[in-house]
Amino acid sequence: MESALTNRIRVLRFLNGEMSQAELGEHIGVTRQTIAAIEAGKYSPSLEAAFRIAQVFNVPLEEVFQWDATATR
Amino acid sequence: MSYREKIAWLSLIAMTVTFGPYFTIVAAGILPEEALPNLRQMGLYAVVAFVQMVILGVGHLYLRRQSPQEVRLPPDERDQAIMRRSTTYGYYILILGMIQVGCIMPFYSNGWKIVNTAIFMIVAAEMVRYGVVVFSYRRQS
Repeated sequence: MESALTNRIRVLRFLNGEMSQAELGEHIGVTRQTIAAIEAGKYSPSLEAAFRIAQVFNVPLEEVFQWDATATR
Repeated sequence: MSYREKIAWLSLIAMTVTFGPYFTIVAAGILPEEALPNLRQMGLYAVVAFVQMVILGVGHLYLRRQSPQEVRLPPDERDQAIMRRSTTYGYYILILGMIQVGCIMPFYSNGWKIVNTAIFMIVAAEMVRYGVVVFSYRRQS
């Protein structure tokens, strides 16, 4: 089943000095495994965690997460 | 593999290696059916519960030493979501079991059959709960 929520976390980590998943997790208070799950599109984070991720990269939320209304849910 | 997933695996393995043989012995009818209290039956259960506690105790100590920094971390939102999901599935099994042993079995059965069915349903509920935890971590959901 295709997820309607996609993200650019991998790209943003690369653009921010190849930040590791563990480092990003530490910044927002989740484990490395949770960042990996979010990045892979397997887990949809809470709104608060999504905003925290955007804050770490200093970009608007929609630059991190994209929602496709036409995707199958 | 995260610390919490390892704990779920440990709990699954501990229950399988202890209650697996227990229910095999019970189902095979190796122990004679005696009136309550059936001391042999109670003894077998005591041994199984003790072995399970030892496996869990040693396993927890070993895993804590392996990843001491992860032990101190509180569960994050995904860990909590997985716990909620697994508890919901386990609860359904437990409720089914309690209806069986509390409302149905007293009309046609008695003694250790009811006790063992209750133990079986509790173990089944716990195995489902830990199984869902492991499955959720494996598929990253």
